[in-house]
Amino acid sequence: MASDQLRPPARGSSGPGGRPLYLLAVAAGLCLGLPVAVIVVRSLLDGSLATAITDRVVLDALTLSLGTTAISLLLTIVVGLPLAYFLARREFRGRALLEAVIDLPIVLPPSVAGLALLLTLGREGFLGKPLDALGIELPFTTVAVVLAQAFVSAPFFIRAARLGFASIDRHLEDAARVDGATEAQLFRSVTLPLAGSALAAGLVMSWARSLGEFGATIMFAGNMEGRTQTLPLVVYSEFTGGNLDGSIAAAAILVLAAFGVLVAVRVLHWGQVLDLRSLS
Amino acid sequence: MTITISTDSSSTLETQIEQGAPADVFLSADTTNPAKLVTKGLNVGDPVKFAGNLLTVIVPTANPAAIASPADLARTGVKVIAAGATVPITKYATMLVANLAKEAGYPAGFVAAYDANVVSQEDNVAAVVSKIELGEGDAAIVYVTDAKTSTKVTTITVPTHANVPATYAGVVVNASRNAAAAQAFLSWFAGPDGQAILASFGFLPPS
Repeated sequence: MASDQLRPPARGSSGPGGRPLYLLAVAAGLCLGLPVAVIVVRSLLDGSLATAITDRVVLDALTLSLGTTAISLLLTIVVGLPLAYFLARREFRGRALLEAVIDLPIVLPPSVAGLALLLTLGREGFLGKPLDALGIELPFTTVAVVLAQAFVSAPFFIRAARLGFASIDRHLEDAARVDGATEAQLFRSVTLPLAGSALAAGLVMSWARSLGEFGATIMFAGNMEGRTQTLPLVVYSEFTGGNLDGSIAAAAILVLAAFGVLVAVRVLHWGQVLDLRSLS
Repeated sequence: MTITISTDSSSTLETQIEQGAPADVFLSADTTNPAKLVTKGLNVGDPVKFAGNLLTVIVPTANPAAIASPADLARTGVKVIAAGATVPITKYATMLVANLAKEAGYPAGFVAAYDANVVSQEDNVAAVVSKIELGEGDAAIVYVTDAKTSTKVTTITVPTHANVPATYAGVVVNASRNAAAAQAFLSWFAGPDGQAILASFGFLPPS
């Protein structure tokens, strides 16, 4: 059973679908990859990438983007993991409704999310007004950036984790219980590893969504260098300010940073798969 | 003649036109952006000045920071909403702040204190007004005409001699497929009929 799941995929144009599928896949890959490649190549060729890397505004934005998305991801895991497990394992009335509500930020336009956060946590907001009376102000702070990112990206992780937990064979967990595992041991040694790749995929999607977050950030957190101006905001500000080269360079840096993380995750993932193979 | 309108900050619109947006007429809140189009050869005919405007300070109706005069913009803890560096209102606002700094009764370091109080740089002046209407910011420098059309803000008057007159100019874009009609519209807009309509919204004649 384990070795079947680990059979390597067919190489190149052999395998089901043959050559036409291969060519179709290459074409689709080019369609998706070309616009992004154009950004990076253009900024490399006209030298704006080199200038942008040393530009304080861009560096501040890059640090802010990477820092806030890391914190949002942690927040997502802390809040999302228990919630996903709960949704996967417990039956209760209104579960479908709750799942739909949690999935909603995925579908909502980011500007709607931003407006919603503003009306809830803004200074005159539903929760924001009492918070403001206590001296806690959220809009225009880096905390607001993290909140905006977490709000729009957590549903991606929760969804993937929920599906991952729900797809685990209960018999394996029961077998572990029979062998004397406590619930905590069970979760750590059986459930989590089995849901591992679903969780990892959810984390990557969630992080990617956070990194690209723009609409909710600019509406709720505002746009100030060093405090709330993330890299996507720089791309837009430079473009509308008439600095096209600066915009392209900032976009290229965003692309390269995102690509770097995605590649690193892939490498780690394949590393994991190789470990499993050595066991069978 | 059917007119379709696309609105945003003048600098954003200028960038869009440079990138090929299908515009017939470009109306700008300054003379700089039409001049940019002229430098790039994207115009038909010279820019025409069609309106003037003045600046004012707006605060939310509830005035949470108890702003009594423009001098309070520099008070510690006041949240000022501004626009991005290339939005026309920012250029005018910067000049206004510099003028106010020279007035009697304004603290030393007024300009630096004002800059330190800016908490966000919005894309256009309409977004600035929205943030004040929502009560998110304590104060903002906007056009008199913006304050006039909003019901959720209060104005704080700016000393007349320190105020900065804004000049609005428009130009026909060379991408226009009906340059004659575009020119006719612009002439009408800058003419007595257009001026009367603009005046009803609080605009001034061009300086």
